[in-house]
Amino acid sequence: MAGIEIRDLKKSYEVDGRQLPVLKGIDLTIPEGRITVVLGRSGCGKTTLLRLVGGLEAPDSGEIRFGASHRTAFVFQEPRLMPWLDVTRNILFGLRGREAEPGLVKDIIETVGLSGFEKAYPAQLSGGMQQRTALARALAYRPSLILMDEPFAALDHFTREQMQQELIRVQETENCSILFVTHSIDEALLLGHRIVIIDQGQVERLYDLEDEGRQRDLLEDRFIHIKREIVAELKGQ
Amino acid sequence: MKQAAFWKKKFFPPLIGIAALLILWYLICRMEIFSAYVLPSPAKVLESFRKMWISGELFEDVGISVARVLKGFAIAFVLAFILGMLRAVFPAAGPYFEYLVQFFRNVPPLSLIPLLILWCGIGETTKTAIIFLASFFPMYLNIVKGFTGCDRKLLEVGEMFGYSRGESFFRIILPYASADILVGMRIGLGYSWRAIIAAEMVAASTGLGHMILFAQQMSRTDKVIVGILVIGLVGLATDRIFAFLIGKLLKGNYENGWD
Repeated sequence: MAGIEIRDLKKSYEVDGRQLPVLKGIDLTIPEGRITVVLGRSGCGKTTLLRLVGGLEAPDSGEIRFGASHRTAFVFQEPRLMPWLDVTRNILFGLRGREAEPGLVKDIIETVGLSGFEKAYPAQLSGGMQQRTALARALAYRPSLILMDEPFAALDHFTREQMQQELIRVQETENCSILFVTHSIDEALLLGHRIVIIDQGQVERLYDLEDEGRQRDLLEDRFIHIKREIVAELKGQ
Repeated sequence: MKQAAFWKKKFFPPLIGIAALLILWYLICRMEIFSAYVLPSPAKVLESFRKMWISGELFEDVGISVARVLKGFAIAFVLAFILGMLRAVFPAAGPYFEYLVQFFRNVPPLSLIPLLILWCGIGETTKTAIIFLASFFPMYLNIVKGFTGCDRKLLEVGEMFGYSRGESFFRIILPYASADILVGMRIGLGYSWRAIIAAEMVAASTGLGHMILFAQQMSRTDKVIVGILVIGLVGLATDRIFAFLIGKLLKGNYENGWD
């Protein structure tokens, strides 16, 4: 088996003495070497699912089975950079001693477009640059699986577009699996090989966009059609 | 030109303040509001300072006091760091010593002098213990605040990269806490310096505190004032050196409250 198998995953949180179910039995297969986008409204359990897959929290029940040995990196909604480290050292943060190959950082910095800012500290960077550094830190780790929690939510339209293209390119060259959480339907349509709609803690529907190629024009009829369907799905119609 | 303007802005106001105080002091002495015994003139104090400088007795006393402060301060820092680290890495260890620490934090070190003299005599151990007691608590509180207040979100980044407890401590918690630790050290150093003077006034035959007390017994108010000025100057100098080092250490990281 390749990829990740998620079976009957349940998770609830205790709020004010009451159990609040967030995930109510998720069944999902995340294929290897593909971008799987989890789409849903705020509070539907997307982030919780990602945190469970990342091992940051334990599920109440159910299981998450990983195929081959995996190396996971997480790109959070906020950059979460170490304020006392410059860009280069932040990018190397996940690596131990001899793991960093010479030239690795230089290549990655070029990939994410941060050349010239190697010695800058996070406080000296714009929000977009900080998020790019966080992406670079994940890439430098050479992960087989990248978990991304609305990583481009805080970016402006153009930076977001650029980062999305960059992500597609990196995924193709590295052939890693990506589990990408977003609430933006356009982002999901642009990035996903597969789109998983989650609503109220359950998988509502799967869209397979494997045959759509990588350069997508969202103004084409078939994407507009899918978008309408997804909107209707999320509105509960 | 810019450089000159900067120095002018930085040093001019403090110099005016110091000059105003000296002039006031001079005028009070000139008008003989108090007797020369109660308040000797600036010239008399300066003359005593010069004599004590030339004879070397000033350096001897300052050197002895500074050495005592450094010894007590270093021991206090190491222990505060270890206990703070224990609380950060093994939170379950906290309750075993936390209440004892809080109890002793509320006991003024000077109130322990009688016991300390009884147990340790009037030698160096008593003075080291007093400095330890004065500087340990502010350092401990700041170190604990720094270690336990670490941003959970940053710790999760380490967790995702498979960091062990030790790696998390040295690569995230410790650098995160560095500003708080340094603040604690600076406060602790200030407290040590105050405590050593008090300790030397109670039980010592050397050091600045003893020098002041001895001068008072000899009715040499000018020497008392020299002692007070030297304490202030040495305290200010060590604080400035510390602030400079902190500025260097935290440089570029983020805004720190040090100037």
